[in-house]
Amino acid sequence: MDEEEHLHRFGTPLQPLEKDVVPAKKPVGIEDQIVKDENGKRRFHGAFTGGFSAGFWNTVGSLEGWTPQTFKSSRAEKATPRAQLKPEDFMDNEDLGEFGIAPQGIRTRDEFAKEDEQEQRSGQRRRKLMQPELGVGPIPGVPVLEQLLRPVRDKVAVRILKSMGWKPGQGVGPRQTRKEKRQATARNTREQYLLDHYGAEGLPEQTESNGEDSNSEEEDDEDITFAPDDFEPIFYTPKENRFGMSYSGLSRDPILSKSSSSSAKAMQHINLFGQLEEQAKNKQLSIRGQAFGVGAFEEEDEDIYARDDMTRYDFSLADKKPKQKKQQHVQQRHVIDGFSEDKSGAALQKPYAIDLPRDFQARNWLQRKSRFAPMDKERAKKLETATEYKRSGLGRHDFNPDQRAQLLGEEKKEEKPNEEQPKRNPFKDRGKSLLDRINARTEGFTKGGIITESGEEKQTELTKEVKESNAAIQEKAALKTKDLAPATSSSGAFKPFLADEAKQLRYEKYVASKLTDDTEITELLASMQPVTLSLWDREMEKKEFIQAAKIYRPLDGLMNDRFISEGNVQAEKVKEQQKTPEERKIVMERIKTMWKPASLLCKRYNIAEPFGGAMLEPEKELKTKPKISVFDYLETSINTKANFQTPSIIPKHIEKPKPKVVEPPALPPAPPPVTNDPEKPPSKEEPFKFTFVPKTPLEQAVDESRDKPISEKVDLFKCIFDDSDEEETVDQPPEDPAQDKLAALQVALGLPSMSTASAAAHNVLRNTSPPRGIFAALFKPKEEQAPKEPPPPKFAPIEGNKLKIAYKSREERLRNDKELAMAEVPPEDIYGPKLPEAFPQKPVAPEDRTEASIDAKLQQLWHEHAPKKRKVEKWVEKKSISSSEDSDDSSSADSSSSDSSGGKAKRSSKLKKSHKSSSSKKSKKSKLKSKKKSKKAEKSKHKSKKKKSKH
Amino acid sequence: MPEFENFNLKTTIDCKQGAVRAVRYNVDGSYCLSCGSDKKIKLWNPVSGILLKTYGGHADEVTDAAGSCDSSYIVSASLDKSIIYWDVSTGAPVRRLRGHAGGVRCVCFNEDSSVAISGGRDNAVMCWDIRTRRLDPVQVMKEARDCITTVATNENRIYAASLDGCVRTYDIRVGELTCDKVGEPITYLAQTRDEQCLVAGCQDSVVRLLDCETGGLLSEYKGHCGDDYHIECGILANDAHIVTGSSNGDAFVYDLLETKVLQRIRISDNGGVVHSLATHPKRQEMLFARRRDMYVFSTDLEIEEEQL
Repeated sequence: MDEEEHLHRFGTPLQPLEKDVVPAKKPVGIEDQIVKDENGKRRFHGAFTGGFSAGFWNTVGSLEGWTPQTFKSSRAEKATPRAQLKPEDFMDNEDLGEFGIAPQGIRTRDEFAKEDEQEQRSGQRRRKLMQPELGVGPIPGVPVLEQLLRPVRDKVAVRILKSMGWKPGQGVGPRQTRKEKRQATARNTREQYLLDHYGAEGLPEQTESNGEDSNSEEEDDEDITFAPDDFEPIFYTPKENRFGMSYSGLSRDPILSKSSSSSAKAMQHINLFGQLEEQAKNKQLSIRGQAFGVGAFEEEDEDIYARDDMTRYDFSLADKKPKQKKQQHVQQRHVIDGFSEDKSGAALQKPYAIDLPRDFQARNWLQRKSRFAPMDKERAKKLETATEYKRSGLGRHDFNPDQRAQLLGEEKKEEKPNEEQPKRNPFKDRGKSLLDRINARTEGFTKGGIITESGEEKQTELTKEVKESNAAIQEKAALKTKDLAPATSSSGAFKPFLADEAKQLRYEKYVASKLTDDTEITELLASMQPVTLSLWDREMEKKEFIQAAKIYRPLDGLMNDRFISEGNVQAEKVKEQQKTPEERKIVMERIKTMWKPASLLCKRYNIAEPFGGAMLEPEKELKTKPKISVFDYLETSINTKANFQTPSIIPKHIEKPKPKVVEPPALPPAPPPVTNDPEKPPSKEEPFKFTFVPKTPLEQAVDESRDKPISEKVDLFKCIFDDSDEEETVDQPPEDPAQDKLAALQVALGLPSMSTASAAAHNVLRNTSPPRGIFAALFKPKEEQAPKEPPPPKFAPIEGNKLKIAYKSREERLRNDKELAMAEVPPEDIYGPKLPEAFPQKPVAPEDRTEASIDAKLQQLWHEHAPKKRKVEKWVEKKSISSSEDSDDSSSADSSSSDSSGGKAKRSSKLKKSHKSSSSKKSKKSKLKSKKKSKKAEKSKHKSKKKKSKH
Repeated sequence: MPEFENFNLKTTIDCKQGAVRAVRYNVDGSYCLSCGSDKKIKLWNPVSGILLKTYGGHADEVTDAAGSCDSSYIVSASLDKSIIYWDVSTGAPVRRLRGHAGGVRCVCFNEDSSVAISGGRDNAVMCWDIRTRRLDPVQVMKEARDCITTVATNENRIYAASLDGCVRTYDIRVGELTCDKVGEPITYLAQTRDEQCLVAGCQDSVVRLLDCETGGLLSEYKGHCGDDYHIECGILANDAHIVTGSSNGDAFVYDLLETKVLQRIRISDNGGVVHSLATHPKRQEMLFARRRDMYVFSTDLEIEEEQL
């Protein structure tokens, strides 16, 4: 008890432990304690507190971990532009918590926060040293003064202003009435705008207009005044350099350094935090910097935009800084404490005095309010002069008709238009050729003279100039059209082969010659073509020429049947009208031609096809195409499928020479190419040739002389060329007798090889024909130049003469009936009708034709064979017919045909009639013949006779 | 040789299809067709003047029409460059044949109506297979140098008259084209019934009789006035009279042999060109087209006979 009395008890005693209560477990050791976050998850503690505890069980944020954000946008849900990401967005909750790196909580704002609090927050302990330590002074606790004296964050100037009645947001200056204020605002905004856009120098003089119009409204309250607006005054920087207005040279700062003006930092590396600071001011914090740009394993890049400068390598040991400081000290002597001197030194510099031109008028070019506002006078004038040419053109249209006429050397018309045209006028001179007239005209043109009525040329001032310019122009034109010039004079301006002059020349000659026969063309070309030209080229050239000639006469050739020149029609009309009615008496003309009815047509008419359908399509291969397009004409070019030959064929043939074949002297002497004439496919005509048996003396002669050397064949040639002059021409006027003979000769000479009925024989057979196409072309010049095998003296003149004569006659004939259908047969037709597809090579028409004329028996044979055979035989058929009815056939296309073969024509017509099967089965009605004119009666008689004969 | 009897107007039909471009009889003359500038063809009974059917489907003026031999089809030519093959009873176009490059001026059937022959402004004569469905011409003859004005055919020949002044005879049997040059543009061509002669209406206001066999000019018939019109001519069923239209509203009937004017039919007093006509294949009956009207002329007696 006593003990207890002596004891003083403090506090509340613990409740006595009850016996049955099990004592608490051992307290958990520190090392065993577990720290959990508010979610009950286990968290590291201690050393790890500061780090980003990486999210969801150390994955970031979610179960998926750090999955990159996917961009998604749909029509309903537009993707919002990504909000500025704050650092907080990348932090976890813990980071924002009390112990995180960015703790958040409710605090007093900076303005109201206590100094220490603020400092604590900003981590600045700057002033701590200055502060008296707590509890050091006599009065414990926070010093009262400290609490009373709050640090003021305003600047002195602001405080002064405030004391003067300024409030934040207001401008500085005397108070303004409403009107004044409005004007000021307008002016300020305007100035601000201009300043922003054009810099300081572009400021125009103030126009007072806009201030005055608002006068009327607000006269009322003069008493009420307002504080002026707060605006940044225009800062006029004095010009420090001699650059142009508002020109600032290239900044020497590295591009990435933001502050281009701060010359102090110019050569520094990128200021990492300058930007950050600036943005912090704007309360928009964005973290940037190298730490975020460079990966862990990358080397830090240099600032590639930084310009290297020697100052960076200026490692002088002597430090400059102390010097500078010294200077500062010196300078700052004169400065009041707390201020520092402006170091820019701009104010000290005197502005340059610029000598302005006397009549200089300051003006802002850009002052136009809108592009529709009237332009400044001077500027307008300048612009006008600058763009005058646009308005006026190049002066080409400034002439009046008279001037133009003068230039062109035309006649002045206005005076005495009725007076007869002067005879000396070169244009009207009928006697001169067109060419001369044109020349005269161009002459007048170049001279620029006026041709007056009297025919003199008057030179004026103007025309002299014109003359010069014209001369120049003409020269140029002449240079350009040097090649074209002769064409206009000779054969029209079409120059398809301008690139190759020689070729063009050949082409012109070809056109001039107006040849239509294939072989003749070949010969002609061969005479002109250089020896170096390859066979293939020769053939191609021939085709090109034919093609070009065809293309060039669009109206003559292709469209002739479609159009008739209006001039012609009218001329005819006039002629007709001039004729007296007696003259106009109709003279009937009848022209008969072959015409092949389509087999279906025959079928529909229930008529057997004429000649069993083996008739040749009469020259209208092209025309029977149902649809005619421009491309058809284009397609008939050199490389159509029809006449295209793969070049590879030729060398194959050429390689195997056949020396055995003997050439006719008229033909080129080199045998090998002739033997391999690629144009000649072994055609189906050959079987007939195998059956050839010499029947006429000529043939026999040929047969005999087959194996003789060429020198011994004189007799044969003689008999060939001597005998048949008259007969042959009579028989087949349109054919070329020389050709025929040649062909005959060929056939004759070729016979031996023909008689062997083997595949090789075909080839040999073909060889015998006169060289055509490229071969003829190739060997013709050679023959002319150097007759390798000297022909017998007797023979040569004969042959040559004959040939020449024959050739001429042929040409003449051709010329005579130039418009003959034969002459207009397109080259395709010359080659003959379609070949079966298996035959890529074209058949050679003229040869067949000529062969056909060898012998009458041959013809007969042909006739017999023809109808049974197919396509190629068709061809043969035609030829045979044409040769038998030559006059009719050839004259079909044109009425102005040769009338040379009267008797023959009759014969042929008879022949034709015999072809006719009796046409009308039903008995014809008697045709009132008795009452008709006698002429008619005669005819009917004739008819009846015929009928009888038919029946 | 029957004596000539004057023709009298039997019926006047206002076709109500614009200008009538052509009038044609069918094969036996019991019906007639009129081709209008309103792109339609009308089928009439020429005696009663009843409109039987209208065939519409062309895209331009119809220039010619022809009936098939069984009168169940019509083929018509139009300036729309096409030829239409019509079913008479349904009035539906069975086939439309395109191939001409210009307006089609004339069309005809062959004897068994298995081939239609057309000629057009593209100077082409085209033969069309009607039996099959082939849409392109069986054959195209492009020899003519000017517009084809008439095509005609008989058993084995096709005649084509052209403005180039030629009559071209395509003899299918012989495989021969005969070109008879008249020298004057031929506006129309008719065959005599005996197929020995052709009646060619020429631009110079002369109708010429040509001999088919020799190509000779047999006679000329002058008196009418052709001017620049496409005047048609014809030969009457008896092969004794030639009839032609005229540009001054008349029609002329000539004697075939004596070439004199037998009758000058005054169709209208107030002008109008009688440009198209058709002669009845059997009777002495004619159709004339003038402006919007179609006139049926006939010698009285025969009609009466028929009607009796």
